[in-house]
Amino acid sequence: MLSSDFRVLGLEDIRATLGEPEGPSMQKITDRLDENCLRFLAHSPFATLATADAEGRCDSSPRGDYPGFVRALDDRTIVIPDRLGNKIADSMRNIADNGHAALLCFVPGMIETLRINGRAVVTDDPTLLRALEQDHSVPDLAIVVHVEQVYLHCGRALLRGGLWDADMQDLATQVPTSGQIWASTSGWDTAVGDVIDDAMSGAYRALY
Amino acid sequence: MRTREGLMPLVVREITRQTPDIVSIRMQNADGSPLPAWQPGAHVDLQLITRHERQYSLCGDPADVASYRVAVRREELSRGGSHYIHAFLREGATVWVRPPRNLFELGEARAYLLLAAGIGVTPILAMARHLASVDAEWRMIVAARTRDGVAFADEIGALGERATVHVSAEEGRLDLSTLLGTIAPGTDVYACGPAAFTDALHALAPTLPEGSGIHLERFVPRAREFSPNEAFTATAARSGVTVDVPPTRSLLESLQGAGVAVSGSCLRGVCGSCAVPVLAGAVEHRDSLTTDDDARVIYPCVSRARSGEALVLDV
Repeated sequence: MLSSDFRVLGLEDIRATLGEPEGPSMQKITDRLDENCLRFLAHSPFATLATADAEGRCDSSPRGDYPGFVRALDDRTIVIPDRLGNKIADSMRNIADNGHAALLCFVPGMIETLRINGRAVVTDDPTLLRALEQDHSVPDLAIVVHVEQVYLHCGRALLRGGLWDADMQDLATQVPTSGQIWASTSGWDTAVGDVIDDAMSGAYRALY
Repeated sequence: MRTREGLMPLVVREITRQTPDIVSIRMQNADGSPLPAWQPGAHVDLQLITRHERQYSLCGDPADVASYRVAVRREELSRGGSHYIHAFLREGATVWVRPPRNLFELGEARAYLLLAAGIGVTPILAMARHLASVDAEWRMIVAARTRDGVAFADEIGALGERATVHVSAEEGRLDLSTLLGTIAPGTDVYACGPAAFTDALHALAPTLPEGSGIHLERFVPRAREFSPNEAFTATAARSGVTVDVPPTRSLLESLQGAGVAVSGSCLRGVCGSCAVPVLAGAVEHRDSLTTDDDARVIYPCVSRARSGEALVLDV
């Protein structure tokens, strides 16, 4: 199936269906982190980082660490340590190519999310990296974002999705494990998937 | 991510600005019931809601059995949560605290010289208050760069003439070598402060008179060089688990990775919370606590087996 199988709307048609945004939702967009945003960030252990390559092709990746890991250096500048990961570095490559970045930050238990958009650079500044040490490990790189747009996104999506409801966690029991997904996409036996899951649970103990 | 096993939830009752860069925090049980007792020199591991955890010396009055008090200095780009404490911690919030441990105990001595620099005043103040109450022979000097940088200035003043403040911006740097040269034999020195301060005192230890000793409390590890990490094996005798410790991982990480219950806090060999008795094997002690190279307690967050040795641990 192709997306062109469907009727494609332009902005005018979309506005005709949705109407215009109401005053207050436009006003809450600012260009800096106020005290409430700083407090939100200080308690956020998880964010998604969206970047795009030189042609505008997008990529979004999860980032998580101790709450406050997305650290505000001032009200227009934030820094994100690059922790141990898969070394594919999609986000880093995109930032080097394009520089626009968008963060969506979560606080467990809170349905509102904080959106921070801006221009990012990747740095290896030693003073900055040392300050980002966690559990004895200094990151090799960090992403610094110059903040251009900040706003608190309303909670309807997380509320509808029941993201923080403990009893929603049974959903995961019906999804294959990462080892099984890996084995299946590689055409391997499910026994290999079990081995991968075992290896992953060991590897997950070294987080830094 | 750190757990809260073994930690007590306490309520922050009072946050008081002591200097432009230091706040003190008074904590209690929610119902105000008594807390585990402590002696001067003791510290607690304090964990924030962000799970950042650090050690702080207790600096309140041990007779106030319902409260603990610590003091925290602002560090611009802090690692352990000092930024959080200064910017976001509020009265009424919950913090998680491990019962006090004392690695800086006051021993018996004919006389005491207590020295503190900057935030190092915290354990020293508790010691001075105790020594004053038992009518010991003591003297305290608290050094700070500027006068407004002296924390607990009113409490130091209330201790009388034996307690003095040295402001280096006004009086020049405190001359430790001259100071130690004047002490009477049998005087024990207790000191706490930044690395430059404790390192200078450590270097002066051989100049002390007969029967005098020096006791240091450090915030950061002693700077030392070690040979490159080698792989070794360690057996946790009680758990019946043997782990391979590669050069890239600490013994603590390796034990925890194998499910052996050892808790760590500072992860840099200064707090002592990961102490494990050693049953067999020679240890290269890399922590800042061990004074005897043949000590049979290992701090696995930084210490390793000596080259070619395998360790057996009582855990």
